[in-house]
Amino acid sequence: MGAASGGIVIEHLIKRFGERTVVDDLNLHIQPGELFVLVGPSGCGKTTTLRLLAGLEPVSDGRIYFGERLVNDIRPRDRNVALVFQDYAIFPHLTVFENIAYGLRARHAPRSLIRERVTNAAHLFRIEHLLGRKPRQLSGGERQRVALARALVRDAALYLYDEPLANLDAQLRHQAREDILTLHRQKGQPAVYVTHDQAEAMALGDRIAVMRDGKLQQVGSGLDLYERPCNQFVAFFIGSPGINLFEVEVRPDERPDHDGRLLLTHPAFRLPVPAEFQERVAPYTGRRLNLGIRPEHLQPPRRADFAVSEDSTVRGLVNVIEPTVSGCTVYLSTLEPAPRDFVATLKARLPGSYLGREVPLAVNLRKIHLFDPEDGRALLHMPAIAADQPARAVVGEPESEQVEQPSRQPATSEASKKREERA
Amino acid sequence: MTSLRLEHIVKDYDGPGGRQPALRDISLEVADGETLAIVGPSGCGKSTLLKVVAGLEFPTHGRIYYGDLDMTEIKPQDRGVGMVFQDYALYPAMKSKGNLAYYFEHHTYTHEQMEERVRRTAQLMGVDFQHLLGRFPETLSGGEQQRVAIARCIVRDPTIFLMDEPIVNLDAKRREQTRIEIKKLLRTFHVTTLYVTHDQQEAIFMGDRLAVMRAGRIEQVGNFDDLYYTPVNLFVATFIGSPPLNVLPALLREGHLHIAGQSWPLPEELAGRLPSGPLRLGVRAEHWLRDQPDGLPLEISHSERIPTERIALVHGHWLGQRVTVSLSLEEADDSRGLQSLRPDWEQLLYFAVDDERLLYSPGPPALF
Repeated sequence: MGAASGGIVIEHLIKRFGERTVVDDLNLHIQPGELFVLVGPSGCGKTTTLRLLAGLEPVSDGRIYFGERLVNDIRPRDRNVALVFQDYAIFPHLTVFENIAYGLRARHAPRSLIRERVTNAAHLFRIEHLLGRKPRQLSGGERQRVALARALVRDAALYLYDEPLANLDAQLRHQAREDILTLHRQKGQPAVYVTHDQAEAMALGDRIAVMRDGKLQQVGSGLDLYERPCNQFVAFFIGSPGINLFEVEVRPDERPDHDGRLLLTHPAFRLPVPAEFQERVAPYTGRRLNLGIRPEHLQPPRRADFAVSEDSTVRGLVNVIEPTVSGCTVYLSTLEPAPRDFVATLKARLPGSYLGREVPLAVNLRKIHLFDPEDGRALLHMPAIAADQPARAVVGEPESEQVEQPSRQPATSEASKKREERA
Repeated sequence: MTSLRLEHIVKDYDGPGGRQPALRDISLEVADGETLAIVGPSGCGKSTLLKVVAGLEFPTHGRIYYGDLDMTEIKPQDRGVGMVFQDYALYPAMKSKGNLAYYFEHHTYTHEQMEERVRRTAQLMGVDFQHLLGRFPETLSGGEQQRVAIARCIVRDPTIFLMDEPIVNLDAKRREQTRIEIKKLLRTFHVTTLYVTHDQQEAIFMGDRLAVMRAGRIEQVGNFDDLYYTPVNLFVATFIGSPPLNVLPALLREGHLHIAGQSWPLPEELAGRLPSGPLRLGVRAEHWLRDQPDGLPLEISHSERIPTERIALVHGHWLGQRVTVSLSLEEADDSRGLQSLRPDWEQLLYFAVDDERLLYSPGPPALF
């Protein structure tokens, strides 16, 4: 119904509660069939945006279109959206069957259709044996599947998810994510999914919008946001453990035979700017910048899978070693009077005997990020480089859509590729 | 500072349906300065265990020792434990400093002694703690409140630290930062700690060792490698590890492993260690081999990239069973290898069907 053909368009959306602006000039175009994730810390405006889409809150300014249809003044029940909440919002006095059938009954669907759809949905989410039970007899995971089944039987124009997995144990989440993807694929309608958990956003979203203080920061595929964050906030928010940030100064190397090559200097280390990036960093000479290094781009020099030069290491004191399946996460602090914490994810397990010891870690200089310390804007980040391709750096303007315009742009190639993989 | 020892702790509650056992024969030792993480699903008894150690509940049977002192009958206020809960429980009418000093105002300390203790604690809490002292709880973020709550415990010089889901109410990113702070503090103060959580990842991070609980019992105590590579049973195996372990039903007959109508010969040495008959195979995401002549296709349902670990997880069905396969990012770009996939028999965990105990595991892989 409308939305299927044109997707969802949000133009200059503003929501104020009294003096407070909680959604501030939001522009988004959600593609037909896309699973679009809104992510950000508590209070960033993501849930309010969802409520505005559902019509549960009136907009203060701006427009929302489902396809060609302006829905600003359409009542929630007439917008034809399906909602899946964190607390499941299932009726305690109704059986599982009645809960799933509720929306169809309210629309006076024929009895045989209700039975068929409810049975199919229950089968898909493995709750067919629970249809006669009341919600209190169900586990959290089962209740969540009831809520999904209820959304599945509807033919909604838009599916909205508000932290639907927040109350589930970690072990149930993997399965539940898959259930949500199943629902999404079955319906083929656009969906907006709200979460504060970037891992969930990365696992589910065709595209992800990062929000902060009511403002859109960046839209892109998970990989776009991870490799080409438009600012320091996005860089830190996406990825766990978060990116390491160090305040550095760009300075020419004064030593003889170094031809004034540029260095990034920090009280605890100095790193050379790779030759191919010298020219691009040159305008920042003498300035303070924030250097961002992802945890996987710090490796023991002898085990690194990137070029290591003797002066491209950072030394740190090992505070915590957390085993992971693929190796370990090491929490360190820099060696300086006011030590800073940083993190490295290693491909091999570091023995416990390294606790409290100093270790050198090589930096993958081709993967560093530089941010303006004033406004956090990304000044330089290195896109993914295949080994046989020449290096390419981005300066100033990030490649991905920093603030998306309401024009009908196609989804990024990465996102459409992800959708194809799923199909 | 002291060690902690629990001997055969039983705790029953009188419920509407008669006596309900909450803890069934728990024995544990925590070394001086060690952090033991207690992890298990909700309702497994982990919070009750913490209350028993604190003295907020008395055990039906069993003894509790702090070092060599029998604490079983001692009132909670005389045990000197420091407790941190998920809801922080700061006094809202007092600034952080007041919250820290509160204990001393009700005990025999001079004003100077109190000031000194608060100052020293604040110093140890880290460079940016000082500015929290003059603020009221409502002006602090969740993470900051939790740091004040921890400082309030530390200032009293507790014999034992008890923490119950202290960061569960923080959002994901804050949790990541706060757990590092807590861990560093535990290291700095070297206090014997019980840390309760339902989140296995948090338990792995916090605990020097972990105790996995289910239905009032401790299933296994050990470090990450013990639990991950040699879990005592299927419950521990599925509880520890992310993505969760996949379990495939199988049958071993005449040296061949039969799964869903297909069969493979097992390496002789491995087959010799296993009883013939039905088995459960525990297959972790990293236990798969691609491009095998005797492999079978994976029906891919979706994949996710985890760039920090430089892997991709591919979820799908193999022989009609839900499985997750972990690949390097490079491998993930080429899905052809997944057309002929099979488990690496020598890496798997093998479990009995009846009591789900571990029958065989190869143990941790050799590192070098």
